[in-house]
Amino acid sequence: MIDVASLVQDTSLKGNYFSPDVYLQGDFEFGLLENRHGSRLLALPETLLQALYAALEDELGEGSDVALFSCGRWWGISFYQRFAEELGEFYDKPLAEMEMIQFIQCFKECWKTHGWGTLDIDLKYYQQGFLIPKIFNSPFAQVAPQNKRPMCFLEAGILSAFFSNMTGQDLHCIQTTCESMGADCNHFVIGLAKRIKPVKAWIEEGHDHATIMELLCRNQSTVN
Amino acid sequence: MQKDFEHFFYEAEDHYLNPQEMIAFKQQVSQLKERLVLYKELRNQEIVIFQLVADKLVEKFADEPPQRLKKALTHWISVMRYSAMAMLLNNSDYLRHRLLEWLTDMIHAQEMVAIETYLFQCLQEKLGKSFSSDELELLMPFLMQAQTMLLESNKKIETVSLGE
Repeated sequence: MIDVASLVQDTSLKGNYFSPDVYLQGDFEFGLLENRHGSRLLALPETLLQALYAALEDELGEGSDVALFSCGRWWGISFYQRFAEELGEFYDKPLAEMEMIQFIQCFKECWKTHGWGTLDIDLKYYQQGFLIPKIFNSPFAQVAPQNKRPMCFLEAGILSAFFSNMTGQDLHCIQTTCESMGADCNHFVIGLAKRIKPVKAWIEEGHDHATIMELLCRNQSTVN
Repeated sequence: MQKDFEHFFYEAEDHYLNPQEMIAFKQQVSQLKERLVLYKELRNQEIVIFQLVADKLVEKFADEPPQRLKKALTHWISVMRYSAMAMLLNNSDYLRHRLLEWLTDMIHAQEMVAIETYLFQCLQEKLGKSFSSDELELLMPFLMQAQTMLLESNKKIETVSLGE
């Protein structure tokens, strides 16, 4: 027999922390944008993002990739801490005790509510040690220089930091397809740096995402 | 935001509400009263309703681990709470954003659809016996919205647990 009265008392019945109608708050008089926890939010105007890409590309060329990835990585580390703290408080349990699917749902809702497009995490290659985030309608890809190379380094940095913190391992993230190059979404591969290292060369050789994953898994079994 | 009143707030920006609008406004007020009564009833009967559903669930899925049945129950206790508030606000977006968008993938990933479909049937039966048809008319659109989104969408999601 299940005692519903104690079930109701002992379990969190709360829904989506990142529901946009309650998560985004602001003070018009002071011009502040905050989340429901009172943490400050920053609005990034399109012009600023365009200028950021243009200036970095001009100054550093392909080196801008590393700069943006590092920015994303640092941003992601702080962001994960805030994410873990706020969710732990809201659901009344530490993030480590949360089921993977609940964590992923919260992360997806968080991504969407912050206006970074819609995120999906493909767990098909989880047993091989890879996670495949897919981002649709990325505002970063939209304003990045078009038809050059996969440009979502900021997002790759955030994703690598997020999942490194979550798993306690130092994970790297590489983008394999990009909306700025006409792809239907931005695919990323997350895994240990030495394992996903060949991906960059395969992208330069012009392989698509499916082929890259096939090569990666084949390469994996050869290494093992 | 209470959707029923939203229209009047905008209308009153440039004129006093006219007699027809006043009548419509009064109707919304009286319907809000009914919604509030139903909300209180749902709140007061929560445990009774779900205890009966839980007993039927245990009987039907005797081989399932109790943890999974408890999880299914917590999902639908939440659905009921959020649906009750959505009914009070007459706002289906509230239910969708605050719960359904977030919960759908979890139900599919945990392969709970069969259990929760049966749970929903039991819940519907119990509500049919406990509330009048007028009351159900106010609540059911939201529960059906939840049922369609949570149980009828065809999703295939890979499952893993944190720490695996």
